[in-house]
Formats: sequence, structure tokens, C-alpha cells
Amino acid sequence: MALLDVRDLQTRFRTDDGVVQAVSGVSFSLDRGQTLGVVGESGSGKSVTFLTVMGLVDRRHAQVSGSVLFDGQEILGASDARLQKIRGKRIGMIFQDPMTSLNPVKRIGWQLEEAVLLHNDVTRAEARRRAIEILKEVEIPRAEARVDDYPHQFSGGMRQRVMIAMALINNPEVLIADEPTTALDVTTQAQILRLIRTLQAEHEMAVVMITHDLGVIAEVADDVLVMYAGRIVEQARVVDLFERPEMPYTWGLLGSLPRLNLTSDRLEQIPGQPPSLLRPPRGCAFHPRCAYAFERCREELPELQPAPEGEGHLFRCHLKEEDRARIWAGKRAALSTESAA
Amino acid sequence: MSELLVVENLQKYFPVTRGLILQHEVGQVKAVDGVSFTLQAGETLGVVGESGCGKSTMARCIARLLEPTGGRIVFDGRDITHLGRSEMRPIRRDMMMVFQDPYASLNARMRVGSIVAEPLEVHGIGTDKDRKRRVQELLEIVGLNPEHYNRFPHEFSGGQRQRIGIARALAVNPKLIICDEPVSALDVSVQAQILNLLKDLQQDFDLTYIFIAHDLNVVRHVSDRVLVMYLGKPVEVGSKQDLYSEPKHPYTGALLSAVPIADPTLGRARKQIVLSGDVPSPLNPPAACRFHPRCPRFVDGTCNVEEPLLRPVAGAADHEYACHFPLERWPMDEEEFRRVPSLAGRAE
Repeated sequence: MALLDVRDLQTRFRTDDGVVQAVSGVSFSLDRGQTLGVVGESGSGKSVTFLTVMGLVDRRHAQVSGSVLFDGQEILGASDARLQKIRGKRIGMIFQDPMTSLNPVKRIGWQLEEAVLLHNDVTRAEARRRAIEILKEVEIPRAEARVDDYPHQFSGGMRQRVMIAMALINNPEVLIADEPTTALDVTTQAQILRLIRTLQAEHEMAVVMITHDLGVIAEVADDVLVMYAGRIVEQARVVDLFERPEMPYTWGLLGSLPRLNLTSDRLEQIPGQPPSLLRPPRGCAFHPRCAYAFERCREELPELQPAPEGEGHLFRCHLKEEDRARIWAGKRAALSTESAA
Repeated sequence: MSELLVVENLQKYFPVTRGLILQHEVGQVKAVDGVSFTLQAGETLGVVGESGCGKSTMARCIARLLEPTGGRIVFDGRDITHLGRSEMRPIRRDMMMVFQDPYASLNARMRVGSIVAEPLEVHGIGTDKDRKRRVQELLEIVGLNPEHYNRFPHEFSGGQRQRIGIARALAVNPKLIICDEPVSALDVSVQAQILNLLKDLQQDFDLTYIFIAHDLNVVRHVSDRVLVMYLGKPVEVGSKQDLYSEPKHPYTGALLSAVPIADPTLGRARKQIVLSGDVPSPLNPPAACRFHPRCPRFVDGTCNVEEPLLRPVAGAADHEYACHFPLERWPMDEEEFRRVPSLAGRAE
């Protein structure tokens, strides 16, 4: 049985300007120990999906429907009391900007202890002991001294480690990491990704890595969801996604990447920008930016269908298989002008 | 090809003071500490480095938004290092900047037309009518709808705002545009648009760029030459081919190694060189080679005693590096990286 099973998740926000359909029918599952990559740009719904899964969307302004089974139990719409037992204990979450996620006026030791005390019946002394232990695990030097420091006394990379420590202190089964390294330098990013991989192995955790960075996805993910305008537009094993992407948005994402091993003068660009979710396009949400769109794309939303190759490989596109294969073969040839350094 | 910009031993130190009423200096943040390079007209110099390396401070010194503490800046043949405001004014027409944050770099209370026209107004170029026409022309050049002249910044997306910033920089026909992380805050697909736009504009308008970024992929795509900085110091400079295929400085190697490869098979097959520790504070930089506490090739007694100076690679005078034990070849795996050849074999 999957650890996390999400079916037809929908999240709608009521705003002054109208209804925003942030998530439109997202379904996926997560197994123990698996690393799921979720890639998408602004407005793709990647963050809102997982905020919804964790019950962190404000129910006064949002309508949520669908099903979220965690370890066989339905948690969508569960009471706060029930969710508190899961959030921070069985599912940990880390966010992009550690400075805004950590309380600036409380020592980090206090914040870590709070995470322990909320979910475990232990003394404060024991909570402190665990705090120091987890700080050592995330490779914070001189943990016994630094546990009494404030967030602003740490560098960006160190603060992110503190966030990871907070998310892991109760040994969760799932870690949801929302753009954990976007704000960090590239060498720090390498350290943090390596740390997450090590901790994942040691704690036997499943990890959801939400990012816009396809390089990070290639490095860490087993499976990938590509999201656009609130829907999954392609999902596949990571190797299949990079080898045989089946729809134009994924082609565009792969083509837009400046790479160390290529010297083409122009990057493939996707014209325009991600659509407004207040007035999403009819039919396929990507069609206004798609070079291959035709009449049907403007009228009818393509369903998720299986790809010719790849286990669990699904995608949304009206193009015929032979056309997709031909177009991708051409793009792929252009992308492989030079071999890797 | 003429030299548009010559920077010699640029230094920018910020004093750290203590005391509320009588402030006395207790230290200095040596944000930029001895950077030199030459920029030819039409070239793009990529400047790469991580937080605290001084790249933004250096850019601001060159643009004279800050006054250097030491060194010289010669722009278009003129020493601008310590020029006053009124003397700098005409020069600022030739040197414009594009900033990182598309939300903070545009005045939210000004209409887009006014934002782009502002440099023209400041320099007294054209009549109101001329300016309006020029602005509409510029909006079109950067791929925006000229009819959006009267809209406010919040009505545009991040990528579009960045285009507005670029239009503003182009307004007065500058020679040099300093781009400080212009695409870092943008989505990948939009980033590609802006990078392509910058390249096209360079060709169409004979522009010279200084392009600051932390993303090595982006820097490689736009630059002719690349300067790598660490804690205020230049550690390596060279053509992009040299730097990316034959880096000499271990920090450059570590940076290249840290960049995730967008290919799951390739990416996971290679062994990354991961540095330990964080970038130290520029308030208290390490002695001698500033990189030595994190360097996997550190040799006690040399790297922490004698500061390595920039020296050219044998046979390639325009490729320089500042290291006592440069990388012998590239790529290297982690084990080789840590192994330093005998002192007798020091490269010169």
C-alpha cells in the first residue's frame, strides 16, 4: 500500500477578483523510501497541492475536494486535532526561505524543543538533548553551543539545515521539501541535497522534492510530476522524463535550460508566461504558448494517457504519437550537439 | 577592439563601527579586495561567485553607485574612480544597470512609460513627444506591447518587469550595461526569453555587458570571458572555454562540480566534489588564501601562510588563477581533487 495516495485533488480559492482554480484534479501516490520530484513554474500549483495535502490551506477562503490517504487513513478535511498528530510528526515540511519560516525572536533550540514537546510526552531536558542530537546530524558544527543561537546568527545554508533538523526531529515517514535550495548558493545546494539523501537513507523516509530546477530533479528524483496551471501534464520515471518526454511543455522546459555541455547560441524559449488561474485558457491550458497547438487543443482538455514507453508514464496532449515522436527526435538531436564535458 | 573598461586593483572596504555617540572603527568588511580586469567593447564578462564574494559590490563600484576605497576604474579612457556627482552625470548615460529583483527595481507608483522615460528626462534628451515615441519604440524592442505605456508595474509579470528594466537601461543608448543577476528571480522558461533578448540586443545595439550571476549554466551561455570571485578576491579569470573545460582553481572546480546536471544518468554517474563548511564572513576572512579552510587540496604551511597571487596559465596569458596548487586536469573525481602533486612539481 502506498504511504501517501492522493486522488483527484482540487483546491479553489475565492478571491475578490473571482475564483482561482489552483489545483485541478491532481492524483499521485508516494511509496515508502521513494523520492518524488514535482517540477513546475509559477502558478503551476505545485506548492498549493502539498499545502492542501497537509491541511495548511485556509478553509475560510478555499474549497478543497478529493481524497488524501495517508497510511490508509483519509486526512483531507480531517480535524485540526487529527492533523496536528501527523504534521510535524509523521510528515515533515521544509520551505524555501528559512528566514521567514523560522521564528526570528526565539532561539533555535527553543524552536526545536517545541517540535519535540508538541508530539512527544517527554521532559524539556530530553527535548533539548534531541535538539542537539539532530543538529549534529544535519552537520551544524559546535551544536551544543549553537543550539542557543538565534536564526539571524546563522548563514543561509545553516538556517536551511536548522529547518531540516526541525522537520526531521520526530523521525517523519515523509519529508516534503518545497524549493529547499532555491535561495542557496550552488555549493551549499550540493551540500544540502547530499544531506537530504543521506538522512533519507538513514531514516527510511519518502521525500517529495518540489522545485523548478530540472537539474535538481535529475539528481534526486525517482519519479517526476510535471505540473502546469494546476494539473499534472506529465509524469514518469526520471530517466523516461528526460529521455522520452511526451508533451510540448516538457520539451520546452528541457530546451530552455542553459547547459554546461552545450554551446547553442539561442535557448529554446517558450513564448508568453504561465496563464492566470483566474481565467484559464479553454481546452489545454498550455495551448496559447504551444507551437504545435491545433483546433482540438483550443476546445478540449486532453486527458492523462499512457505513453508508449515507460512504466507509469502518463501525459496530456492531443498530438498524434508519430508527430510527437518526430518532433522530439528533432529537438533531441538539437540538444545533443555536444557531448557532456 | 578597444578597451571600454579597465579595472585595476579595485578595493571597497566598509567600516564596522562600534559605539552609539562616539563611533570608532573596530574593523573593516573587505567586500572587494583587489579585483582587476579589462573589458573590450562588445564583450560580455560573466562574474560568478557565491554570497559574500563581492560581485554586486564590485558592480556598484564600477557604476559609481559606491565610491571605491582603492584602485582605479577607467571607463572609455577616462578615470572615473573618484569623480563627483556632476562630473559623473554625463558618463552615466553610457553605463546603465539592470537589477535582480524585478519587483523592487521599478517604482511601483510610476507608470511604465515614465519609468522607461526617466533616464531620458534626467539627461535632458528630447521633448515630451520625442520621449514618448522613444519609450514606445523601446517597449517594442524588448517584446512588450507599446500600448501598455500607462500601466503600473504590478500589472506585469516578473519576466515582463525585467523587460521594463532592460528597456529603461537601453533608453539612453549606453555603451555598457551591468546586469546584476537579471534572471535569478525568473521562472526557467522566462529566463530563456530574457537571455535570448539580452543576446539579441547586444548584437543589434553594439552593447558591452558585465553579467553577474551565481548560476554557472547561465553565465556560460552569455559570457565571452568569466571572472570567478571568492570573498572579495578574484580567484580565476579566463575565456569561457578555458574556465569551463580547464579550470585551474579548486574553487572553480568545486563550483562546476556542484552544478546539478539535467541528465539523470550522467548526473548520478559522476562523483561530485562537495565542499565542507560555509563561506566565511568577509569581516574576518581567513589568512593568506581565503579559500584554504574549505579547500580539499589545502597544504598546511603554504596555503595558510602565503597568499597566492593571480598568475597566468603557461601558454595562455589571458587565463589567470590564484592558487599554489592548481588543478592539473579536468574533470577530476573527488579523490584526485584532494591529491596535490609534490611541492617540487608546482605549476608556474
